[in-house]
Amino acid sequence: MSEPTSVNTPKPSSSVKLVLLGEAAVGKSSLVLRFVNNDFQENKEPTIGAAFLTQKCSLPTRTIKFEIWDTAGQERFASLAPMYYRNAQAALVVYDVTKPSSLTKAKHWVAELQRQASPGIVIALVGNKLDLTNDGSGDIQTDAERESAEGDDVGNNQEEQEDSIPGDARKVSTREASTYAEEEGLLFFETSAKTGLNVVDVFTAIANAIPESSLKSGRGAGAGTGQTTLGGGRSTDDSRVNLGDRGAATAKEGCAC
Amino acid sequence: MESLSDTQWDVTISGTGIAQSLLALALSRSGKKVLHVDKSPYYGGPEAALSLQEAEEWVTKVNQETSQYPFEDATIFLPSPSEPNSGLSSRAYTLSLSPQLIYSRSELLPTLVSSKVYRQLEFQAVGSWWIHKPTTGRDKDLYRVPSSREDVFADDFISMKSKRTLMRFLRNLSQSQANQESAEEEKSALEEALTKSLSEYLTTKFQVTPELYDPLLSLSLSQSSPQRTVASYAVPRIQRHLTSIGLFGPGFGSVLVKWGGGSEISQVGCRALAVGGGVYVLNSGVESLNQGEQDTKNSRVQLRLISGETITTKYVVGSDWDLPVLSQSPCDHDRVSRSITIVSSSLDDLFPVTAEGGPIPAGAVVVFPALSLGLADELPPVYIFVHSSETAECPSGESVLYGSVSIPGQQGQSLIEGAIGKLLQSSAGPDARVLWSLRYTQLGRAVDGDTRPANVVSGNVIRFPPPSLDLSFDDSIIDLVKDAWNVVMDNEASPEEFMSFTDRESYDDEE
Repeated sequence: MSEPTSVNTPKPSSSVKLVLLGEAAVGKSSLVLRFVNNDFQENKEPTIGAAFLTQKCSLPTRTIKFEIWDTAGQERFASLAPMYYRNAQAALVVYDVTKPSSLTKAKHWVAELQRQASPGIVIALVGNKLDLTNDGSGDIQTDAERESAEGDDVGNNQEEQEDSIPGDARKVSTREASTYAEEEGLLFFETSAKTGLNVVDVFTAIANAIPESSLKSGRGAGAGTGQTTLGGGRSTDDSRVNLGDRGAATAKEGCAC
Repeated sequence: MESLSDTQWDVTISGTGIAQSLLALALSRSGKKVLHVDKSPYYGGPEAALSLQEAEEWVTKVNQETSQYPFEDATIFLPSPSEPNSGLSSRAYTLSLSPQLIYSRSELLPTLVSSKVYRQLEFQAVGSWWIHKPTTGRDKDLYRVPSSREDVFADDFISMKSKRTLMRFLRNLSQSQANQESAEEEKSALEEALTKSLSEYLTTKFQVTPELYDPLLSLSLSQSSPQRTVASYAVPRIQRHLTSIGLFGPGFGSVLVKWGGGSEISQVGCRALAVGGGVYVLNSGVESLNQGEQDTKNSRVQLRLISGETITTKYVVGSDWDLPVLSQSPCDHDRVSRSITIVSSSLDDLFPVTAEGGPIPAGAVVVFPALSLGLADELPPVYIFVHSSETAECPSGESVLYGSVSIPGQQGQSLIEGAIGKLLQSSAGPDARVLWSLRYTQLGRAVDGDTRPANVVSGNVIRFPPPSLDLSFDDSIIDLVKDAWNVVMDNEASPEEFMSFTDRESYDDEE
């Protein structure tokens, strides 16, 4: 039914809807900002409303275009998340390694996703703010980092920090989170949006974990597993209509490609 | 935590149906404080898209809380009721309550483009129109409706005589579009002819043979028979069909939105407002409404939400199903039978690529004239919109059939059921069967082409008219949204600002 793709065509490109979930102030928006703009803002204001960003991730065989939905700011009504995780092919569930309650919240989100989201959704559990721990401090930053530890999450962290080893604000062990991630079949990373540590790796790992079938049929595994080749080489791009083509199409009556 | 009642809201929108969500989009950069609520736990209102599990809950709600939804008599049909879930995975399905197709010439598309949200939607082509025509000696009962001159030449089904008259009619349509300024007397003769029925118009004006009535009617998506459809309604719609083809690519003239149709458009509108600072609360509609003194310029409306909170707002916007009922009796609604059916066949033959270089269609339209279902020919036709798994509404190897006929109740449902049986017989393998089906009556407003619907504005309360029952996106919705937008902007915004936004971030447009 469809023509074989010619040899010279660029790498296939697929869009992946990714939803970002997690307790307030764990650094969700900062992670995305680091990934999309390679930037970090100290004392970032809480996200108002919600945000939508895109970023491409190039793999050897294809390009993944992430459409990132940041639910930030509206968790209090829990009313945006249902819209965001519907049809999402990937989810980033973020907690703060210095704040145990944020891991509890993250587990709730994972359970919610497993109950409500598309079957086959790729979920990554991400412990952020690694720069506040001894593991993450590395040689990159020292003083500035300490400042941000205090500037971030005013009120929440301060008591906890007082009884921890100086310089290490970690309250959630890597082992605890990674064991949980393994049990639930999640990708797992610890990151620092501030230093950029592991941030790109998270998105690359997600891109690699999205099954080819889900890119083609759009929908995750579900009942159709193993049958995705029935369409005879159909891919998302074959059926997609580009509204941006309108000008060209009217000018020469069709032939938009 | 700041509570909702601490804010003096400028606008409260109740319900997340398409009109309200497009209004949300229109207000997303207005700087207004907007609260957007919905009584349901999902987005989309009467245009929602549902998983199987959600569909079951929806059926219960619709039947229990009658008059709270523009739907009635919802039932789920299972081929083997002994196994309730039939082994289907609930979330592998996104079944749309609004499978309307969108013509390339619809005002909706430029609106989605100028407001920049089109980037977040995926559009797919609706390719062929098929008409059921039982014949002897042919293996196929479905016949592809020719919708371009090339199609007519290539057609091997209709007679030469019919071809000539059809070409004449098609030529006339394209000319009347190109040459609007015809002579005065010619014009009035044309207008007079248009008051006739479509069948009479086609015969007297173009000597079109009766075998073409149904195919031409199908291109107008008229929900009445050719004898009962006024030419002034059908002809411009046939014209719209023909002039839409090729606009966004070869071989198709209408599109559908991947992941659930109108529901996706609703959600994109709501997201835009959320990004712009609007606050969203699901599971909480407007319980009661107190308008206070109406005449003062700065009067505010007090709303009690189902969640128990009381808020004040300058304006409140919703439909009759999202706001407390008016004291006067609600106006009569039109009713149609609809059904959503999952079948165990990909029905590949219905989705041929319709022109060289064209996309693989994800949607097809199959029309069953009443006569083909063994009924009197003045009864309305049954329309079945077929969506392939490419729409992401079902797993691959299956397809979703959206049936509609403008006869409510049991009679309408059995017509749709009969049509689906015939469709499977002629287009699917012998093993193809119905896996699951949702049947319901939908209330709304029939589109007659003459009367332009209007919002009901009473003080600071704006009510959208009932949803359109058109099978294609009804452009009057955009006018209604614009009217409502004008009111809540206190008539201060200039019309060209409506839905005209710049991208929130830079895009490279090479893709």
